Amino acid sequence: MIGISQIGTYIPETMISNLELLEKFDVSEEFVREKIGVLQRARKGPEQKASDLCIQAFGDLKNKIDVNVEEIECCVVVTQNPDFNIPHTSAIVHGKLDLPEECASFDISLGCSGYVYALSIVMAFMQANGMKKGLLFTADPYSEVVDENDKNTALIFGDAGTVSLLDSSATLIPLAFDFGSRGKAYKGLINEEKLYMNGRAVFGFTATVVPASINKLLKKLSLTKENIDRWYLHQGSKYIINTIVQRLELNEDKVVFDMYEYGNTVSSSIPLLLSKDIDSLKPGEKIGLSGFGVGLSWSSAIFQKTN
Amino acid sequence: MSTVSVGDVLEAIKKAKVITSVDKLEPAALLSDQDVDSLDLSGILLSIEEAFGVEIPDEDIDGIQTINDIVNYINEK
Repeated sequence: MIGISQIGTYIPETMISNLELLEKFDVSEEFVREKIGVLQRARKGPEQKASDLCIQAFGDLKNKIDVNVEEIECCVVVTQNPDFNIPHTSAIVHGKLDLPEECASFDISLGCSGYVYALSIVMAFMQANGMKKGLLFTADPYSEVVDENDKNTALIFGDAGTVSLLDSSATLIPLAFDFGSRGKAYKGLINEEKLYMNGRAVFGFTATVVPASINKLLKKLSLTKENIDRWYLHQGSKYIINTIVQRLELNEDKVVFDMYEYGNTVSSSIPLLLSKDIDSLKPGEKIGLSGFGVGLSWSSAIFQKTN
Repeated sequence: MSTVSVGDVLEAIKKAKVITSVDKLEPAALLSDQDVDSLDLSGILLSIEEAFGVEIPDEDIDGIQTINDIVNYINEK
């Protein structure tokens, strides 16, 4: 069965401080710290594109695990801020990494739900085609679309890239997925000339669908929330994480929160969290993932570490 | 629907655990003057929608600035 073997990450070194913008946006430090949960945002260089974030993440992956690019059979990039509209960014990454011509490459256009969606898509694709090793990248540099004067979005998003090595011999494997969309609400988070977010619409969506999605998954697997050892929720904001925790009555100690120092990195948020824990997961442990946002869409999953 | 009171609204907000200081809310005072920020307001309005089965569209929000406004809004629906 295909599983997650290792995760490489890249967070740009340049940071934009939210604490220096309190006066500009007429918000308190407490609001920024306790509600948004972002003290500073990672910002890529102006010359860097999504593919560059992917390549940097791949460098980190190689530092963690031996990767032979000749063995990579698929290369997938989750992004909605690609290098170009044409071609797909995965083709650019494929070229930069000098992957074999037999390596399948395609992009997946999803936002904050993208990583969990893509895990299912790519694992099924690999399984169906007898592939053993694949690379799943996330890189969605929102700094290219955020209006720095928009109070609703300027203090939230950071840039990052990740790559997950998916491998037929990996021991972190999926038990079940759940997906959904509320397409009628697509205008809640949209980039026309600049990014626009209806915070209340996205909040209301998330607060209702994510707990329902997680409960549905638990029921499907005949599990309770106490059976889940760690929760990796998309880091939308501290307020939304707290809301989900409160609505599901989760044990806060089991819910990972880590966005103070770089921001909401869209589809990279969950793999960024998971990369820090993947080596310490013990056999038998189960983890819950849930991504939600653009679309509006969501995807949740339960994974288990096997022997 | 029977008439909704200030107590009903405060109870719904308290039950939803949206904010911690529900008992201190003054019904006639602006929520924004009582440490209720924009995110708290989103949480409060969601809890009201769920508790009383009403939908509060974005275009109505400007008219909802106090607990009394919420009570009146529900009762007029």
